[in-house]
Amino acid sequence: MNAFFSAQGCYLAGALLALLVGGKRKAVGWVAFGAAAFGTLFILTAVLGVFREGPVSSGLPILQVPGLGAALIYQIDYLSALFLAIIAVVSLLVTLYAQRFMQIAHYRAGSLRYFYSILLFFFAAVLNVVVVADLFFFFVFWEIMTLTSYLMVIFRQEERVRLRAGYKYFLITHIATIFLFIGGILLYRLSGSFSFSFLKMAMAEMQQSQPGLLHFVLGCFFLGFATKAGILPMGDWLPDAYPAAPAPASAAFAGSMTKLGIYGLVRVFCGLLPLSSHTQIWGLIIALFGAGSILVGTMTALVQEDAKRLLSFHVIGQMGYMFLAIGTGLYFLRTQPVIGMIGLGAGIFHLINHVSYKSCLFFNAGAVFYKTGTRDINKVGGLARVLPVTAATAIIASLSIAGIPPFSGFASKWLIYQAALRGGFSVPVFIILGLIAIFISAVTLASFVKFFGALFFGKYEDNGSKARVGDVPAAMRLPQIILAALCILFGLLPQLPLGWVYRSIAYLFPPGSMPAAASIYGGGLLNGLSLNVAGSTAAWNALLLTVIFGLCALLAWGLFRAGGARVRSVETWYCGEEMSDRDTRYRAHGFYLPFKQIFRLRIGRYERPGIYPTITWPKRLFRKEPALNRAIDLDRWLYQPLARSAVRLMRRFSATHSGVPHLYLLWLAAGAALALIILYSFSGGK
Amino acid sequence: MNSYLLAFVQILLVLLLAPLFEGVMRKLVALVHSRIGPPLHQPYLDLLKLLGKEELVTAPHPLFRYSAVLGLAAILTTAVLIPIGMLPPLESAGDILVFIYLITLAAVMVVISGVTSDSPYAAIGASREVMMLLTVEPVILIALISMAVKAGSTRFGEIMAWQAAHAPTFSTLIAGLTLFIAIVAQMARLPFDIVEADQEIMEGPFVEQSGPKLALFKWMIYAKQFIFAAVFISVFIPWPVVQPAILNLLLTLLKMAVLLLIVGVVHVVNPRLRIDQAVRFFLALVVIEIAGLALALVGS
Repeated sequence: MNAFFSAQGCYLAGALLALLVGGKRKAVGWVAFGAAAFGTLFILTAVLGVFREGPVSSGLPILQVPGLGAALIYQIDYLSALFLAIIAVVSLLVTLYAQRFMQIAHYRAGSLRYFYSILLFFFAAVLNVVVVADLFFFFVFWEIMTLTSYLMVIFRQEERVRLRAGYKYFLITHIATIFLFIGGILLYRLSGSFSFSFLKMAMAEMQQSQPGLLHFVLGCFFLGFATKAGILPMGDWLPDAYPAAPAPASAAFAGSMTKLGIYGLVRVFCGLLPLSSHTQIWGLIIALFGAGSILVGTMTALVQEDAKRLLSFHVIGQMGYMFLAIGTGLYFLRTQPVIGMIGLGAGIFHLINHVSYKSCLFFNAGAVFYKTGTRDINKVGGLARVLPVTAATAIIASLSIAGIPPFSGFASKWLIYQAALRGGFSVPVFIILGLIAIFISAVTLASFVKFFGALFFGKYEDNGSKARVGDVPAAMRLPQIILAALCILFGLLPQLPLGWVYRSIAYLFPPGSMPAAASIYGGGLLNGLSLNVAGSTAAWNALLLTVIFGLCALLAWGLFRAGGARVRSVETWYCGEEMSDRDTRYRAHGFYLPFKQIFRLRIGRYERPGIYPTITWPKRLFRKEPALNRAIDLDRWLYQPLARSAVRLMRRFSATHSGVPHLYLLWLAAGAALALIILYSFSGGK
Repeated sequence: MNSYLLAFVQILLVLLLAPLFEGVMRKLVALVHSRIGPPLHQPYLDLLKLLGKEELVTAPHPLFRYSAVLGLAAILTTAVLIPIGMLPPLESAGDILVFIYLITLAAVMVVISGVTSDSPYAAIGASREVMMLLTVEPVILIALISMAVKAGSTRFGEIMAWQAAHAPTFSTLIAGLTLFIAIVAQMARLPFDIVEADQEIMEGPFVEQSGPKLALFKWMIYAKQFIFAAVFISVFIPWPVVQPAILNLLLTLLKMAVLLLIVGVVHVVNPRLRIDQAVRFFLALVVIEIAGLALALVGS
């Protein structure tokens, strides 16, 4: 526990120090990195301690709000420890990457001291969220996290559309928080305390006495967490907010903040809610929302041409995979605990993998931006020549997210498919959800072939930008390499992370109620996965097949060299015509046009590529079908007017603060008179 | 250890026999065209010649040079997971999902060789390859999953054993037919020869491949053809099961040759579809297959 507090100290001290160091752009980056490095060290010690000696708790409350029954209690169990480790590693890599990235001209005018102190403050809040054992303080830290992330979204933004993204983010996430509050308060009425252990009892009691109300409470929690996780349709903010933030911040969001939606979901639905028919119903709902997000998010990603916006839609799709897995797990926990545990484990495992490859991909996109100053994948190409390391890590991360063996994404997706298909043998709807997941996995591959194909291959075009010779600096390469290495490691040895994952979930249930890890995944770190469901097994032995693949590659290489063929370098052949490099590049826009034409939204005369409304619409469309467009564009008729009317209200209110002392005195007098009248009427004239 | 030996034998079997089946198919196509056609061992000669030819390199990226090696390796790896008349040698290493995704890995290598070669024709071919993958992969998977539902397992061995012990039902027939069509596409045969389409985009992803690289890619395509034929025969037409395993293997090879002859006939009498037509076609197949899957779930 002390290690955790020391880590807290590191992050907060780093945030303060960053403010003090101020204008020195290099120094402030190193300060942040140093703080995060020490913090990570402490966190990892704490995590190792937990995994070795069992969960720890701060014991006595550190802070108490007696009137509310809220007390700040820290408790690190295995689930918290797992998330702590993820967040700490992400914070380390993000600050290391940001150190050089934030020095580009684009952010020259921005004040880096604020950026870094907000970033560190954000990480401190995120770390707190996963360890508090009290719903009230959970909300407090959740809010700090949301606010700091909002500040990062609007960092250095003059463009209206970006500010709009910030607005939208602010509004949607706060509406989500309100739902969380409502759920929390309804439970509090019964328990009289915000402590998780009391809430757990309250839920059990509510299940007996007011099952309908419990559904409402769970619905509120679901909405709150799903919004943060970016599940559609609530996650509408995500594809606008992510690209607006600087690349390190986007990686930080993808690596830590969105994942807390999953943390909250698991904490509430597994840790607090007792196994019952409620679990099953909400399992199905969560799985359905997950599958919907997978479908819409990823299909939309296919038509994106802004590198970061493309990645953001994939965040939505990948979060859908986690929701699908966790929902399937929850559904089957009661009837077929093996499938249940496979599903839950697959969800968390996919989360770990997603953190590694998605942060890596955001770093890749950032490296391209660093080098070329653009995020439009139509405008650049052939960058593998200038950015070999970035290209290699981008390919590994892309294949991993697309679920290609033997990378980590395949291991977790394979588990998700198994859970959905095996569950589907008895409850057919899950087979359909599993098929959606499998189909979309191929769409993900397509989207990332476009991503790395268009960015890194084709003819290199030096468009006269300030592209410097050589790869990005080492401080930016290292995080990418580490994350890509994780993609390979967890892919080859899935038993390693699954061991941690299993312990983190199994601890949430009464001891002994869940099947042992070895009976689910098969034993042995090197033996690969061997699932044992209802008497029949299914296996994925990554290490063995990779060795065989390696041997086959050796054999093929032997054949390749056997003829002793000479090698000659030649020009690309354009059927005898002379073409410039620019003319012959196959641009990202051209990929999969026929496919995209089949999957487009078509309602009457209204038609647009993809199936998702965006905020940058051509004017022409509005005139054609105004009603429908307006109905889809929540920005237009919900968020913007809401924000505007709130601002108007505030203006009216602030108008009273004119700075004229006489007016204030008048207000005081009027207020005092009003108070007197109220008191008088209440006391009944006595 | 025995299973490892068997795995090795199966890899060699795929590697060495695949060109022969290609030769048989070429002969058949020639017969339909009223030509004499090349001798049965012509594919071997082609490969040998290509292996010694000069290798022309248009792009410096290492993935461009070695994608053919990795692609062939991926296909050969699947050889240890599939049944060829007998149980898969290393069944405990992977199930149908692993099999499908290893095949996808090979396709990814074709795509990567296309996008790294800097040729716009190759890029168009790569884009088409991905679109075919998008639509054909679900068709294959749903067919195999319908069988998995029937057998209650996702392992090839158990699916095969179940099918051998039972008579065909509606759902297995639907799965078998759709899988057959998907296999035609996977073998890059007409009417689905859209990725290479030599008259339009000059072999698509392979336009800049030459010498040993082209040889390995050709070998990969032959091996893929062989493997899909083996999977189809073992999963859907396992009867009659004859006892000495070696006899069963020979019988399976014979059945595979017949299957490839049928594919050859389909190839020869059909024109090429456009990519959008193919995508629509396979999406329709998916719908039919889901109906078949529903049948499998209710047990018919």
